[in-house]
Amino acid sequence: MRFKQFNHACSCLAGKFRQCMGDRPAGEVAPLSKIGRRGRKRICKITGDRKLCARMAALGFHAGEEVEVLCQEADARCILKIQGGTVSLDKTASRNIFVESLE
Amino acid sequence: MDAPKVRITMALAGNPNAGKTTLFNKLTGARQHVGNYPGITVDYKEGHFERGGREILLTDLPGTYSLTAYSVEELVARDYLVNEKPQVVINIVDASNLERNLYLTCQFLELGVPMIIALNMIDVAKDRGIEVNAGQLEALLGVPVVPIIARSGFGTDALIDRAVAVAEDKRIWQPLDISYGEDLDGTVMTLMAEIHRQSFLTDTYPSRFTAIKYLEHDDQIMARGRVVDQAVAARVEAQADLVSDHLRKTMGVFPEAIIADHRYGFIKSIIRQGVQTRTFDTDRLYASDKIDKVVTDRLLGPLIMLAVLFGLYQFTFSWSELPVHWLDSLFGWLSGLIDGALPEGLFKSMIISGAVHGVGGVLGFVPLIMFMFFGIAILEDSGYLARVAFMMDRIFRIFGLHGSSVMPFIISGGIAGGCAVPGVLATRTLRSPKERLATLLTVPFMNCGAKLPVLALLIGAFFSEDKARYMFLFTVVSWLVALLSAKLFRSTVLKGDPTPFVMELPPYRLPTLPGLLIHTWERTWQYIKKAGTVILGISILLWAMMTFPRLSPDQVAVFDQQRLNLETQHHANTETASQERKSIDDAQAEEALRNSMAGTLGTAMEPVSRYAGFDWRTNIALIGGFAAKEVIVSTLGTAYSMGKVESRESAPLATRLQQDPHWNRWVAIAALIFIMFYSPCLVTVICIAREASWKWAVFSMLYNTVFAFILATACYQMPRLLSLI
Repeated sequence: MRFKQFNHACSCLAGKFRQCMGDRPAGEVAPLSKIGRRGRKRICKITGDRKLCARMAALGFHAGEEVEVLCQEADARCILKIQGGTVSLDKTASRNIFVESLE
Repeated sequence: MDAPKVRITMALAGNPNAGKTTLFNKLTGARQHVGNYPGITVDYKEGHFERGGREILLTDLPGTYSLTAYSVEELVARDYLVNEKPQVVINIVDASNLERNLYLTCQFLELGVPMIIALNMIDVAKDRGIEVNAGQLEALLGVPVVPIIARSGFGTDALIDRAVAVAEDKRIWQPLDISYGEDLDGTVMTLMAEIHRQSFLTDTYPSRFTAIKYLEHDDQIMARGRVVDQAVAARVEAQADLVSDHLRKTMGVFPEAIIADHRYGFIKSIIRQGVQTRTFDTDRLYASDKIDKVVTDRLLGPLIMLAVLFGLYQFTFSWSELPVHWLDSLFGWLSGLIDGALPEGLFKSMIISGAVHGVGGVLGFVPLIMFMFFGIAILEDSGYLARVAFMMDRIFRIFGLHGSSVMPFIISGGIAGGCAVPGVLATRTLRSPKERLATLLTVPFMNCGAKLPVLALLIGAFFSEDKARYMFLFTVVSWLVALLSAKLFRSTVLKGDPTPFVMELPPYRLPTLPGLLIHTWERTWQYIKKAGTVILGISILLWAMMTFPRLSPDQVAVFDQQRLNLETQHHANTETASQERKSIDDAQAEEALRNSMAGTLGTAMEPVSRYAGFDWRTNIALIGGFAAKEVIVSTLGTAYSMGKVESRESAPLATRLQQDPHWNRWVAIAALIFIMFYSPCLVTVICIAREASWKWAVFSMLYNTVFAFILATACYQMPRLLSLI
């Protein structure tokens, strides 16, 4: 019983720490701006206005595409590799690209 | 008589950083600068060369990722292709980044333009373990593919030969049909039928291309359609909107996302048919990506950036010190030589005070400018400048500017040594009119190459103990003032929502020495040419304004009488007599200058300008600066050398200013602040008028001058109030 309580407390603490660091567990879908950690992600959805969606689509951002996040700032901009190119995104674009972690 | 040569028109098109301009320079011999970041070329550029008795007119189009109406570059490229109809389009494709580059190729094929693919950077691709089968790509796309290395010139002869063959081939190029899925294909067919039946825009675009652009909600083509036939345009728009709404409801996406997805699908299918083989894992991170992880880190990145920029200043000022001193001595020696060779009179005064001191004052800074440009070329060509733009984006957002505003700021002199004219033109890459205007009005605050000699002169004269640190400090001040002004504009007259910033970063590349030297020389040569033409003209004009009208015979007689009295009092050539004679000469020269047109103007302004610590001679130089900022140094040189044409008096301007009672450290700071921020030069003002309107150009002149004067007055008066002067 005590072990279960300890385990639960540890899980809560780990969850809070991840939340604090903006780090999401693998498989959880979140905006790119909130994903928190570098590494490989898969694009799940792109939201935002029509112009932004069109621009992102032309750069190869579409659902199912895998990207490698090289640099990420909490709730802000990021640099990622997609379709062989390196693209920098601002806060607006990062908030509108929903990804899941693959690591 | 020779038969007229056959003329062939070709266009170079491709993604940014694919090597278009490198190939353009290689083929035409043009020495136009290739920046390693997007957004440097907005207009297209033309050059020509001969091949096999044919004259080839080659146009370098701006780099684009697609042919939509998202950016000005895309519009310029697309309009050129459909309006000018070049006989062949050379599509430059980066072999090391094939998938991304073929996206634009797809759209050229859909447009049905005669095309040849130049498969560039095959060496870089090979280093990355990528092998591209050009023959297979040619067979699958149905267009000639020629592997090249634009930097070395490998394959360019074969490329041109095959391009000439395509241009002379009478084949009718059919637009490529890509399937966009059931939902969209049906609509495309319906729209095509309507477009074809009504001959709607068919003289400009293939009907399928128009249909796709309506589905992509292309603003420019839709606006053109409304002008051509409002009724048909309304029907086509309604049909496109219907399918768009349907897709939004059922799939949650816009048609353009589906179209792009299918285009990438088409490209993948081509690549997987033996076009590309990889030795290494596709997930592999290249050295460039690993560098980015450190260089753009949110904590380390800004520190590295500051260290790099400070290092640039240190390099520029420490390495250029000796050659600047040599040139200074050279012009001093030249003054002495002319002084000894020419008889006293107006001509001698014009040559020494107008030409040598005027142009010499500007040319003396050539080594400094050269070292600064060399440093900037290293940052540009290595790809680091694009990372600076990315890191500065965070700061720009705070001040209501767009991340892309960074480029105009850097080009205008964000890293001292640029020019506001291309900076103003570079604002064309900004989509939002308000962000563009805010950028356009604030880029002239940067320390352009023309202000650099003034900064170097005054910092060298009054803060010689640590020139690089003061130069860096004044650059930071220029950034602060520009950004705060932008914030002011964006919060008042130019209020509006920000637009997103998305930019492709070029990979890091080791700059080549010939490339760096070419870029450095191009910019330095422009500076030298300006000094030899415009500045020489303005220097002589200002010399004339500072010489005429001359003193009346009565006024001259007063000084002659003083000299006569001196002779009768001393009767000997003593040290005291010599000093007094010199004082009389200086007083006469000063009176002559004050009596001149420029002197009258400068004196009339003095009651106001003295609040900022400027005397009438400084006023003359500042008036000259309205024409071109380089003139400030030359005019100061002329104003402080009038009447002192003897070689022994030809001390460097910095020394003359140090010795002048009107100048001290605080006056120097006030003058630096005023010069950095007052009205842009005439050419920049004309550019602002052309890019925005005369209303904004006049606003820029008035706002900047009033603002600069208030700042300069504060810088001069504060220490007086605190009894520091």
